[in-house]
Amino acid sequence: MNELEEKFGQIYFAVLGAVALAFGAAELIASAGEGLTWGILDSSGAADPMFLPWRAIILLSVGFFYLSSVKNFAEIHQLAKAVLGSIMIWIVAGMAIWSRIASSIPGEETWFNSLEGFLASYAPPYCPEMFLLPFSLVIVYYILKEREEEAEGLSYRGKAR
Amino acid sequence: MPLSVDERWNLIEKISKQTVEFGARKHTLKDAIAELTVKPLTGIPVAIAVLYGIWSFFVDFAGTLFTDGFMVRLFDEHWLPFLQNAFHNNLDNWAYRLFIDAGHIENGVLVASDNCLEAFGVLTSGFFVPFGVVLWAVLAFYLMFALLEDVGYLPRLAVLVDTVLHKIGLHGYAIVPTFLSLGCNVPGVTATRALETRKQRFLMITLLSVFVPCGAQIGIMQDLVPELMGWIFLTLAIGYLGFGFILNKIVPGKSPEIIMDVPPYRMPMMKNIVSKLWVRTSRFLLVAVPFVLLGCLIVGLMYLTGAMDWLATVLGPFLMSWFGVPEETVSPLIAGFLRKDLAVGMLGGLMEQGIMTTFQVFTSVVLLCIYFPCLATFALMLKEENWKEFLGSIASLVAMVLVYGGLIHLVGIMLEVA
Amino acid sequence: MKILLMGHPNVGKSVFFNRLTGAKVFESNYPGTTVDFTKGWMRFGGEDVELIDVPGAFSLEPKDRAEEVAVKMLEENRDSVVICVLDASKVERGLYLALEIIERGYPVVVALNMWDVAEDKNIRIDVEKLERILGVPVVPTIAISGEGFKELVSKIKEAAPVKIEKIIENAGGVESAAVSG
Repeated sequence: MNELEEKFGQIYFAVLGAVALAFGAAELIASAGEGLTWGILDSSGAADPMFLPWRAIILLSVGFFYLSSVKNFAEIHQLAKAVLGSIMIWIVAGMAIWSRIASSIPGEETWFNSLEGFLASYAPPYCPEMFLLPFSLVIVYYILKEREEEAEGLSYRGKAR
Repeated sequence: MPLSVDERWNLIEKISKQTVEFGARKHTLKDAIAELTVKPLTGIPVAIAVLYGIWSFFVDFAGTLFTDGFMVRLFDEHWLPFLQNAFHNNLDNWAYRLFIDAGHIENGVLVASDNCLEAFGVLTSGFFVPFGVVLWAVLAFYLMFALLEDVGYLPRLAVLVDTVLHKIGLHGYAIVPTFLSLGCNVPGVTATRALETRKQRFLMITLLSVFVPCGAQIGIMQDLVPELMGWIFLTLAIGYLGFGFILNKIVPGKSPEIIMDVPPYRMPMMKNIVSKLWVRTSRFLLVAVPFVLLGCLIVGLMYLTGAMDWLATVLGPFLMSWFGVPEETVSPLIAGFLRKDLAVGMLGGLMEQGIMTTFQVFTSVVLLCIYFPCLATFALMLKEENWKEFLGSIASLVAMVLVYGGLIHLVGIMLEVA
Repeated sequence: MKILLMGHPNVGKSVFFNRLTGAKVFESNYPGTTVDFTKGWMRFGGEDVELIDVPGAFSLEPKDRAEEVAVKMLEENRDSVVICVLDASKVERGLYLALEIIERGYPVVVALNMWDVAEDKNIRIDVEKLERILGVPVVPTIAISGEGFKELVSKIKEAAPVKIEKIIENAGGVESAAVSG
């Protein structure tokens, strides 16, 4: 990556890391009490309160991963931390989305859900991880960039005969 | 002329000098990620995220979508009433009670059941347990497992838990049989063959068959007592580590280091995953379904002949005083010899009748997990161990159940929940 | 004639087996998936030949149950050709097993599997030279994508027992144990 890309990455993931930390802390507090719902942000862990503390731990780690990647961001071991942070968000957010898909298909009284019921399952509030999901995708750009450089950088590329 | 070890290595060095050339090695992003996932500081959070992912996928796929979403409706609202109507609710007929609905006593009267867990007929519970609940749980688990396998995450998890497992005389590699056992104990026990010494195998087989619940059991537990799952897993994990530690001290023999390669991360291939899923799930069904049906039949017969009541009176006082569970749990414990999932399902029936406190439910679910490996696992243990080890396994099994079951009861009394 | 598939744990023997027989043995990205041996049939030279997937072994001095099975399989099938699957990125370690098998007088074909991984690690192997020194066919393969398999199968008939002394000579001698200490 060039200097501009590195600079942008540093600022971007510093901010994202701070936000993740804040969300994680909020989840931790919420898991101690009854859970919080604030506007379209939901930290209630409504589906299963057992999950909430674990999600808080994961999100806090994501925050730390992002923040610790910022220094010397272009270096591969540093970049890898940001990549792992994003992957962890993808896992948790992916499962939150999957949970909605799973509950949106069967209906209350009928075999399959009505269209309104189906769509209602996807309405806000969303958990913090789902908010972070789109922002975490920026890392894909850096991964592709890195892979490109790796492919060029190898001194020898043969093929199996 | 056979070469000595030194001579052979010497020759290899000669050959490789002439044929292999190591270029400058640059770390790739993949290597960097691989490194981070085995270092404890970064590896443990990642492991938590991965396990969180597996568990929530499992709950939503098996529980929310299939079992609660479709199967409960199918079996309770359609299949059971259909059979009950077709055979005129004939609770006086023994065959009806055996195959469709055993009924239960309510205010001194025998009444019909309204769900497939209570009904306990071969055609009702016998089909609901494997196809309504267990199949989806096992499918979800094997899907996750195949993904972890093919990506190459499992060996990294093994490296991470290596330190902890060494304390109980096992190697990090033990995570593989343990994980496999979470699907079904049978392939889990088979996988212990890769362990080096007989001691390690003995420890592993004993711990697996006692403290690792299979996917079938987990699925039905999650369906019945989702709020207790955290406690159940915690109790089992403490037992696994605690008794592993003790066994390691008692059992003679060595548990040496196993050199394990950590393979590179790979993109999983759809075709491979689908074929694994298919083979493993169908094998599982072939083993499980006959046993579930047989279990229903045997338990039903024992009820009809009065054998169950007799056993309940004989064993009831002991169960009540030592483990703190009511005498009705005798029948699930009997069924548990054949299939654990079926047994937990029977507990569900008892719960719906409201004769157990939450703590008793918890204790009996844990007891069911640990008290005896299912018949299939039992048969495999016979095959895998020599008779001395086998007797050892059985002895430690009995000891562990008595000690641990009593301990749980004791803790319950102290916390004033029993 | 039988064909034995041997190699270290986790070098992709099971994938080889699947590719060669069309069977369904699990392929997993961790060592020790195959603990029992598995048999299958492959078409070779117009007839069906039995192919045995031997559990992974580091050497022929058994240290675990899987290796015991491996040695037993080898001893029970004296008339077989061995396809020795090596991890191309760790050739030295794989060659140890290959040499042990050659020493015991079996005709061997060496498959340098995971060729792509070796490339990623920037390791270059002179296949022709290795072939000349060992005196047995050597084929680079990538089992997952199936590269190199046609050549591998066509080379099975070229496999013949090689005297270890010949290999030592080709490699330019070897210090005896007394000298190397």
